[in-house]
Amino acid sequence: MTDQSSVDADPDPESTGAGGRDVVVPLRLYKTIVVFSTLIAVVSVVLGFTLLDAATLQVSLVRGLVAGALSAVGLAPAEGALSAALAAAGLSTIALGAGVYTLGTRFRTAGMGNAEDGRSDTSE
Amino acid sequence: MSLKKQDDYDHSAWIKSKDLSPVETVFLTTLVWLDKRLRIVDYLELLETLYYRSNMQMPKSHTEQYDLDNKFWYWYPLYTLGSFSTIAYVVAAVSGALLGFYYSPSTAAGACNISNASVAYCSIAGIMRDLQFGFMLRSIHRWSAQVMVAAVFLHMLRVYFTGAYKEPRELNWLIGIVLISLTMVFGYTGYLLPWDQLAFWAGQIGVEMSLSIPLAGEWVAQLLFGGFTLSQATLQRMYIIHVFLLPFVVTTLIAIHIGIVWVQGIAEPH
Ligand code: HEM
Repeated sequence: MTDQSSVDADPDPESTGAGGRDVVVPLRLYKTIVVFSTLIAVVSVVLGFTLLDAATLQVSLVRGLVAGALSAVGLAPAEGALSAALAAAGLSTIALGAGVYTLGTRFRTAGMGNAEDGRSDTSE
Repeated sequence: MSLKKQDDYDHSAWIKSKDLSPVETVFLTTLVWLDKRLRIVDYLELLETLYYRSNMQMPKSHTEQYDLDNKFWYWYPLYTLGSFSTIAYVVAAVSGALLGFYYSPSTAAGACNISNASVAYCSIAGIMRDLQFGFMLRSIHRWSAQVMVAAVFLHMLRVYFTGAYKEPRELNWLIGIVLISLTMVFGYTGYLLPWDQLAFWAGQIGVEMSLSIPLAGEWVAQLLFGGFTLSQATLQRMYIIHVFLLPFVVTTLIAIHIGIVWVQGIAEPH
């Protein structure tokens, strides 16, 4: 467990350092960011690959479900169009996951980063 | 989790007080929205507290005493690779035992209408095409074998780079060397069992490699491959090595290997 002294986040200013933008947040908010951005990223990547699978594999369960749902509302897209749409959806889902994760990495909490001294960067 | 309102965790107010870009504001607001509904972090914190409460009852480890966790933590996930190897091995063993119900190690021809196919090849074609879940069963067996080789190798790297092979764990390192070698023999003998073109020519390479050994070469080829050319004897030996000999030896060695870790304790970073 982190000791109490590092829990209380000073009103740190955010800075644009050499490693890109860097925002210091309270510890509890930092935990929220780590847990949920990782969760979203993982789910997006798995989901994205499932969609890619559906785009390339005729026997895919997801493809069957999508095609079934479309025909239920009276749509019968060409195989090629369905593949393209599924592939686009898959790639953008993966990109979304990557984006959410990357965005999450710019946040840190007091005492993190700058291995030499977690606090020195606040004086800059 | 206490019931009192925790003001310093009022994230919405905090977000407003900061100078954030629109993307960051949306990002944080979404995550806080999720956090308020799916209280995963609270439960994780509960687990964290539980973990430290129970660990406080134990003597301090070397790692805690010298405060090494902050430099070393990123190695810890790799400490699961040994268990991961074991799991892959068990999965391979169970799926392999099931494949054994349907596979037959014979090079005789004419068991199915695939031209020139041996009984061995036909039995695998049957597993793939006719057996319910047979394709899946064979895939699980092949994948777990691949995963085991990778996991064992990475486990060896983790042991090497954390210095866990050092005194007093030399014996376990040596057992490990034997285990990684036998893992590869498992892979090789299994690869020959379908008795298709890939298997046959891999077998040919094996015979020639054996024959190239000075002095003992012919004897080794006789012993492992049952002759200097590939035949029924070769497939039969590969089969017995793969499903009888190696399972006993490797299971015993893994048990000793893990038993030694149990007795000696896991090596701590220095
Ligand atoms: C079938 C293959 C293997 C299995 C199932 C296996 C399993 C395990 C397990 C479960 C552990 C406990 C710690 C951990 O998981 O990291 C362990 C530790 C260890 N293994 Fe393996 N292992 C295998 C191969 C190897 C190989 C190839 C080497 C090295 C040549 C090796 C050397 C060691 C050593 C020295 C330890 C003690 C490490 C420590 O105390 O930190 N093992 N092994």
